[in-house]
Amino acid sequence: MKISLNWIKDYVNLDGISTEEIVEKLTMSGLEVEDYVDQNKKYSGIIVGLVKDVQKHPNADKLTICTVYDGKTDLQVVCGAPNVQKGQNVVFAPIGTVIPKGEMEMKKVKIRGVESNGMICAEDELELGDDHSGIMVLNDDLSAGTLISDALKLNDVLLEIAITPNRPDALSHIGVARDLSAIFNRELRIPKLDFQESQQDIKQLASVEIEDKINCPRYSAKVVTGITIKESPEWLQNKLTKIGLRPINNVVDVTNFILHELGQPLHAFDLDLLAGKKIVVKSLTEELKFTTLDSKERILPKGTMMICDGKREVAIAGVMGGENSEVTESTKNILIESAYFNPTSIRRTSKKLQLATDSSYRFERGTDPSNTVFAAQRAAQLIAAIAGGEIAKGVIDEYPIKLKQNEVKFRLARMKKLLGYEVQKADVIKIFQKLGINLLKDMGESLEVIIPTHRPDIEREADLIEEVARIAGYEKIPVIEKVSITLHKRKDDFDLEDKIRESAVALGFNEMVNNPLIPEADSKVTGIPIEIANPQSQDMAYLRTSLLVSALPTISHNIKKGEKDIAVFEIGNVFERLKDDLNSFADFEEKKKLLLIITGKKQSRQWYSAESDYDIFDLKGLINSFFSKISLDYVLNDSYNSIQNKIYDYQFTVNFKDLTFGAGGKLNKSVLKMFDINQPVFSFECDLEIFQKLSGERRVFRDLLKYPKVYRDFAFLFEKSINYTTVKKFILQASTDILKSVELFDLFESKEIGDDKKSLAFNLEYYDYNRTLTDEEVDKDFQTLINKVTEKFNAILRGK
Amino acid sequence: MQRSEIERIKSDFDHEIEKASTSGELEQVRIKYLSRNGIVTKLFDELKLISGEDKPVFGKLLNNLRTEVTESFNNKKSIIESNQLPDSASIDLTLPGKGIKIGSRHILTQTLFEIKSIFKGLGFSVYDGPELESDYYNFEALNFPPDHPARDMQDTFFVSDKFLLRTHTTPVQIRIMEKEQPPIRAIMPGRVYRNEAISSRSYCMFHQVDGIYVDTDVSFAELKGTLVSFAEQFYGVGFKYRFRPSFFPFTEPSAEMDITCYICKGKGCRVCKHSGWLEILGCGMVDPNVFKYVNYDSEKYTGYAFGMGIERIAMLKYGIDDIRIFFENDLRFLKQF
Repeated sequence: MKISLNWIKDYVNLDGISTEEIVEKLTMSGLEVEDYVDQNKKYSGIIVGLVKDVQKHPNADKLTICTVYDGKTDLQVVCGAPNVQKGQNVVFAPIGTVIPKGEMEMKKVKIRGVESNGMICAEDELELGDDHSGIMVLNDDLSAGTLISDALKLNDVLLEIAITPNRPDALSHIGVARDLSAIFNRELRIPKLDFQESQQDIKQLASVEIEDKINCPRYSAKVVTGITIKESPEWLQNKLTKIGLRPINNVVDVTNFILHELGQPLHAFDLDLLAGKKIVVKSLTEELKFTTLDSKERILPKGTMMICDGKREVAIAGVMGGENSEVTESTKNILIESAYFNPTSIRRTSKKLQLATDSSYRFERGTDPSNTVFAAQRAAQLIAAIAGGEIAKGVIDEYPIKLKQNEVKFRLARMKKLLGYEVQKADVIKIFQKLGINLLKDMGESLEVIIPTHRPDIEREADLIEEVARIAGYEKIPVIEKVSITLHKRKDDFDLEDKIRESAVALGFNEMVNNPLIPEADSKVTGIPIEIANPQSQDMAYLRTSLLVSALPTISHNIKKGEKDIAVFEIGNVFERLKDDLNSFADFEEKKKLLLIITGKKQSRQWYSAESDYDIFDLKGLINSFFSKISLDYVLNDSYNSIQNKIYDYQFTVNFKDLTFGAGGKLNKSVLKMFDINQPVFSFECDLEIFQKLSGERRVFRDLLKYPKVYRDFAFLFEKSINYTTVKKFILQASTDILKSVELFDLFESKEIGDDKKSLAFNLEYYDYNRTLTDEEVDKDFQTLINKVTEKFNAILRGK
Repeated sequence: MQRSEIERIKSDFDHEIEKASTSGELEQVRIKYLSRNGIVTKLFDELKLISGEDKPVFGKLLNNLRTEVTESFNNKKSIIESNQLPDSASIDLTLPGKGIKIGSRHILTQTLFEIKSIFKGLGFSVYDGPELESDYYNFEALNFPPDHPARDMQDTFFVSDKFLLRTHTTPVQIRIMEKEQPPIRAIMPGRVYRNEAISSRSYCMFHQVDGIYVDTDVSFAELKGTLVSFAEQFYGVGFKYRFRPSFFPFTEPSAEMDITCYICKGKGCRVCKHSGWLEILGCGMVDPNVFKYVNYDSEKYTGYAFGMGIERIAMLKYGIDDIRIFFENDLRFLKQF
């Protein structure tokens, strides 16, 4: 919100306080000044210049060489504006000044060979408007050399304040002035009413009826007759332009002025256009097409609260007036609406229509219901003063259900407990009084106060404590250097994730963080997705059903950027729809998952080795190392199957007992094609919640082996259809328990041994924890094993 | 066989063993004298041909020879082995080392981890919570009434009337307090979503860490102490800080914490919008209405809460000027950290 400091000074005396201090204190009391412009600084050195002569530029058709008098000397200035003429007073930026637009410093330059000593400015260069069609021409009566900050009254400080949603009272100049009066302990001066009324009773000119009493608790109005619509006087136009508003006419400008002065939105109706000279506040019983005063036709849903006359709708209550009753050049008599609307009702309308105005913004946050009559009167006074006309006698004030003011108890001890320090009672009372919070009772250790209606945010003791703290200054609250901590219930839900990250990094994986919002087609690859009801774009309209589908665009991106050799991982949540309607947590599933992806070269071409590509066994190996590192090796019982499905050409699953909690494999081409990837990709994804349960078991130390190990090797020719795991399992099961491990050390296939055969060579490791094994018993076991393998698989022992 | 011959062999051997300076040369000497067909071994074969009283004499001589030669050989061998250095001329040590791949954690999870470690040191536990939340946890129980403009502070992605993508990690506070009784001392890191236009400064999702402490005597002064300690550990000492009033529906009083801009050291720059201050987090005393929702007695218990955005912190700390780069996952970016 834009605030003019000069305007503020109409209500509070800030003499002797620097702009910097005002800015700092406002920010430190909760009205954050995001930015401010000191116009005296902004226009420093820029002056009124008199154009004494205009000559053609010898080298450019569109340029002229002007002689500009700066009050002391004549200066040669090159100008590009078509409207520059001899005898004009212009805005002149001499050498050394800074043009506000683009913060450009003026230097002596040659333009097409001609020296130029400054610039004659256009409106946009001064940030006074958008016009760049020509230079600004000033009044003739100004004398050359006058600072334009004086000549054009550009001597204000404009603040940009961020008002939090709890502070509707601060959405006006008086509101900000009230805080300043409390901060600097100065008097707040509310403008006094001073106007004459005609003999004509307002009740004979107009009437108001409220049908929707819940959403419109109060409707006040004044009538002014016989006015002349014209331009506003300079002081009013000036005030509005300073805060970025465009002056329209004297009546509309006054309503805007009151909104920014008091925070009370007003609406002026052309009384003669109101059928039956009547206002009725009611909600629509059916949908309606309605043209608002911005000339847009809008479809208003049933239930929208409207201001109507005797026959038809004339305004969307609290949001925007209708074209059919707006004030025009021919308007003579007006009715000024000053109402209090229910914030919820206005917010709903504004949201539904996607129409936010200065009025709706204030109503939905909560205006001051006590201020409606005053605002209407003040508007009437100003309109009568600048537009002529007479103010009808009396005021219409429909206020069927009086809003009750809140009384709150405030305990000094509670404040000390919550803030950690003590504020003196006298100071508390002073702060309350400055904010308009009146003391009802002083009960020694506690106070009873009544909350003014302009502060709907103050409802409880905690709110009052905040008021004291922010005006006294948060910097007064001490910084405790000793804290108590809780010793029990210490835990970290992310322990496992951190462990996984550590292992993945050690194994050479880079971590990704991908956006879970993805396009529909992608999300449907791996599950039934959940749709975002109000997405930003179709590219982010669904939630990911697997980490894979949100990661493949990343893989594709990297390959395109030339990073083709990739080992990446991600830990994140995936979402799956279980029911059509999402009404409870049981209707969908959110799971934390781990994803590993490898693609491209495992080993690039090097002086010590040849290059090699990642394959499915690299993926398996990495996963095995991974699980062993996070102590899952002893609970894992993996199974690998060649299932072809719509994601994988071949895949394996990882199981614990009967529970499958992860799957991986080589991604099939149609999936890769969706993401525009042209190289084989291997991926693995598993469920971290199941993982979490499995990894809960504690690792126990096992004594180091005291006795020697004995090794034996053998190789067999097998039928090709017999798989490795079957053989390995059989070997372990067929031998006695002195055989501890079986390792495949060679796989060999060739024409010589036959196309339907393969040779598998195993290394067997024998030992016992309690004794040294003899060669004889190992040989015996080994020999028995050879016989059993030969017999079971019809295999042929090789070599030896 | 003659004694002189034995002596000559011994003398030849002594000469050769003396000359041998590499293990290769020494091996040649061993083969020549001590192998199965070596000179010394052969002499024992000849001994079989000798008869009579000479046999024990020569036997003894040969045994002595073998002992001396073996000893001499072993001595030399150990000398050579202990003196043996790599043949430096044959190794080009300037060749590059054999590369071993090492991965990297995403800079966001690194930053989260760092923040988490600091708060764990200050006695906080760490809790997780769902990203797909109900309106109740995300808004209502945090004192955002329906149709309240405070909801505009957080543009929300909805998936149904009742469910949405959480806009902050604060709902986890409610989930913890529903299950546990005070004292509660916890932080809640996680991912959040906002329906905001994507630009270099804002993205549709980001990460936050929320914190809460509830006990019988928790004050704003303690909140200040804890957060100042956090900031000193994270940003280093030597900055100024300020707590400035703000508004969050779930805290009262509420504040934002600023620290001296560490780009310009408080002089004013583009990053701090010429104010000299950088906002690093929001905080406040837990609103009594929030305690009502979890059935805590707000007369008995007080608490503080705080929350901060991770991307913003990481961007400032590492000089990253476009938030989108975090989620592009370009390996050239990931490998930098």
